[in-house]
Amino acid sequence: MKNRVYLILLALADSDLHGLGIARAVQELSDGQTRLWPASLYGTLDELSESGWIEELDDPRERPADESEKKRFYRLTRAGHRALAVETDRLGALVKIARSRLRPRAGDLS
Amino acid sequence: MNGYRLLLRLAPRRLRERHGGEMEAMFRDRLAEARERGRIAEAAIWLHAARDIAISLPTELLHCWRRRGRVGIPRERRALMIGSDLRYAWRSLNHQRFASLLVIGMLALGIGSTVAVFSLVNGLFLRPFPFPDPERLVYVNETAPKWNLEMTGVNYHDYAQWRRDQKVFEAIALYDRRAFNLATDGGADRMNGAAVTMDFLRVLGVQPIIGRMFTQEEDAPKGPLVTLIGEAVWHERFGGRADVLGKELKLNSRTFTIVGVLPKAAEFPGGVRLWVPMQGDPAVNAQNYSYDGLARLKPGVTLEQANADLMRTQQVVFDTRDKERLVTPFARDLREQFTREFGTVASTLGAAVTLLLIVACANVAALMLARALARRREIGIRLAIGAGRARLLRQLLVENILLSIAGGAAGLAIGQWAISLLVSSLPDRAPSWTTFALDARMVVFTIATSIATAILFGWAPALHAMNNDVRGAIATTTAGSTAPVRGRRTLWALVVAEFALASLMFVCGGLLVRAYDRVRNTDPGFDPSNVLTYTVAVPAVKTPDDASAAAFRKRLVERMRAIAGVKEVGMISCAPVSNCHWGTFYTAENAPPRGANDPNPIILNRVASAEYFSAMGIRLKEGRFFNGSDGIGGRDKDSTIIVNESFARTTWPGEASAIGKRVYPGTNPPPNQPIRWLTVVGVTKDLRHYGLEQPVRPGVYLPEPLNPRVTNTVVLKTAGDPAVIGAAARAALREVDPEIPAYDMRTMEERLALSRSLRAAYSWMLGVFAVMALLLAVGGSYGVTSYLVSQRTRELGIRVALGARSADISRTVLKGSLAVVSIGVVVGVIGAVGAGRFLSSLLFGVPPYDALILGLAMVALLSTGFLANWLPARRAARVDPMISLRAD
Repeated sequence: MKNRVYLILLALADSDLHGLGIARAVQELSDGQTRLWPASLYGTLDELSESGWIEELDDPRERPADESEKKRFYRLTRAGHRALAVETDRLGALVKIARSRLRPRAGDLS
Repeated sequence: MNGYRLLLRLAPRRLRERHGGEMEAMFRDRLAEARERGRIAEAAIWLHAARDIAISLPTELLHCWRRRGRVGIPRERRALMIGSDLRYAWRSLNHQRFASLLVIGMLALGIGSTVAVFSLVNGLFLRPFPFPDPERLVYVNETAPKWNLEMTGVNYHDYAQWRRDQKVFEAIALYDRRAFNLATDGGADRMNGAAVTMDFLRVLGVQPIIGRMFTQEEDAPKGPLVTLIGEAVWHERFGGRADVLGKELKLNSRTFTIVGVLPKAAEFPGGVRLWVPMQGDPAVNAQNYSYDGLARLKPGVTLEQANADLMRTQQVVFDTRDKERLVTPFARDLREQFTREFGTVASTLGAAVTLLLIVACANVAALMLARALARRREIGIRLAIGAGRARLLRQLLVENILLSIAGGAAGLAIGQWAISLLVSSLPDRAPSWTTFALDARMVVFTIATSIATAILFGWAPALHAMNNDVRGAIATTTAGSTAPVRGRRTLWALVVAEFALASLMFVCGGLLVRAYDRVRNTDPGFDPSNVLTYTVAVPAVKTPDDASAAAFRKRLVERMRAIAGVKEVGMISCAPVSNCHWGTFYTAENAPPRGANDPNPIILNRVASAEYFSAMGIRLKEGRFFNGSDGIGGRDKDSTIIVNESFARTTWPGEASAIGKRVYPGTNPPPNQPIRWLTVVGVTKDLRHYGLEQPVRPGVYLPEPLNPRVTNTVVLKTAGDPAVIGAAARAALREVDPEIPAYDMRTMEERLALSRSLRAAYSWMLGVFAVMALLLAVGGSYGVTSYLVSQRTRELGIRVALGARSADISRTVLKGSLAVVSIGVVVGVIGAVGAGRFLSSLLFGVPPYDALILGLAMVALLSTGFLANWLPARRAARVDPMISLRAD
């Protein structure tokens, strides 16, 4: 899973957000390391909604004249949750292994 | 902010339409944030945004492609659709097999002839010389307008002067074609070679494969006998072994040491197989012009600068030898020098073949348009029941591309065949490094032409047909009425264009064929029937003096005369139409002193034996030919001379007879010795020495005893077919001296045919093109009229039902189409008279408005045009009103 996909899913895990909100949350989550830019953010969002991991909320407000003016809110789907959990487990396992490997060896202390 | 909107335009459309507003808002947010941190941060934001959008493009493409796999038309079915397009196209083409074959044939003819002529032009003009930076190579020679000589050949002394002084060339060299007798185990071989100066390879930019170029010492007078051999000789005679250096070759009975081997690319001038140093002496400052010059311009130097510099260096010569400034040097582009003869011919052929291709394309367009118009109903119905326009267009495109690929392939085959035909028809005249073959560019050209034809001439009519609204298309065709006006008008315009171009080509082709006929019937001034000529190369060491040379020739002539079937044997220094020339000057007794600006035409100088004249069938105007007593005093005594009409006319204008008048060779009397006078004893009719199309120059014959070492061409007048004497003549020569080869053995008929071969080739080709254009135009006109008649069946049926006689029907049909044909022919013939002026250099005096040709072209085109329209008209006249009214 791409880093930005994981971060987007994570941002949507506890609240439903719109695009700009997702970008801000991602920046926060990654400690300022990942800044999403419009084209890649919305491209990824489209991709994710197509694969069914996130979905658009029905907008109760009336539609603006131009479709692109519409503010879309996204929510994590069940499939999205599952994907996020699986990836988190995988990362967790990976981190565990990495930690054990990176433990300082005896010789390094002297 | 507008800036970002512009950037967004570049973003994938789907993204822009769905999220454009939000994306903009987000960018605004980022920008506002960055503004607080200064200009650099702001610029960074812009850069990031641009990069972001640039990256989104390929991602989006990939995404689209993936998505298409899932939704919309499944990929398997897409493939099926292309297959079905192909199948449908095949069925539709097969259904109208005749029309399809017609289109393929027309395309093939057009493309085939274009390919052939383009290969010719490509070989001659476009393919670069096989040398590095060939555009910097120039040809150098000298010109003497007052001697009536465009090119005199380079004087060695002048060359030495240029080489010392010039500032514009990287290197300059001279070359001189020479032939060598190469002694072999079994006898002697004749080999073409060249004498070159030491910088020759530097000019060409070529390195020897092994060994080295001649040194300065070797290229000096009385230098060592060394030679460079070509790659071919190296392989043939030395098996390509590296130890060839230092080996010896016996050339012209002298022993040469091999110092190097040159690659095939260095074979310049063409056909040369070995090279020897020129060993000229710059100290000799005489009127001796005979070499060709070759130079490589320094980078950035123009031809004008080079010419100016040559004139500057020539000043020394003007100050000393050539005070009258008679001979001036010039440099011209090397390729131009070698292709001058072919320039007009190539552009004429190119124009002709382009016209032919246009006629073929017009034809294809007309046929396609007629087809498309006839299918309006089918297309209309398919549109009506919901076929996509794009799908229909694609289908028509597939059909047309199929047709044009078939046409292109057939065209390539025809072109290939035509090239081989062409090459065999111009044998010796083309520069020898040119190769006329299909190359990759040609194939690309063909493919491009056929596809362009498909789209321009096949698809456009389809669009044209489809532009009608659906309802109209179905309604009009169901009613079986005539074709729409717009389509009909386009069809007629195409027929007019075809006939105009065809008549233009017919007239031009006719003029050239007539010119060729005129050339062929030109009196050469000698009798070419039953004459065999060949040249013997007698090395100087074999006949060191005049007496031994005369004795050798006496033996040779006697032996030749003994051959059965030989009637007469003559010896000449330079036979007619065999590309040789030896020019000198003569001064007449009591001639007024020549003014500085008076022309001083150079005289064609020949040495002939007494029997030569009757053997060659030369006719006498007055006086007598030589007999055995002419010139027997040798070159130190007064003697006799025979002149031609032109000489008599230019030397003694206005005088009735030249007999008894006296001349001496040269422009000035020899210092410190008595003049040796030559008395005119005979005047011959003019003879076309340089070819049937070339002007006659003043010329003279000297009796053989004056210079017995130059009469090397043997002329045999035979009783029967001269070609069969060849073997006997060779055998007889071997008996006289086995080491002397006979070469350039040809009958005079062959020589004449050879001198005409180029003209024969292009006249014949243009004639063929003209006939092809005519056939195409006739075919096109026939097709169009047939189509229109078939569309008018219903209308004609009504007319018949109302009492029109069949003659009336034919007349109605014919009237329209013949008017169209006549307009085309008239336009074409008027155009041809204009175009004829550009041809005039090729027309050999035939006027471009030659009444016979113009009349013939008109009659031929109008009558074939009539025939092409008469057949459909007759069919129309036989229309059965019952059937035609019931049709549809």
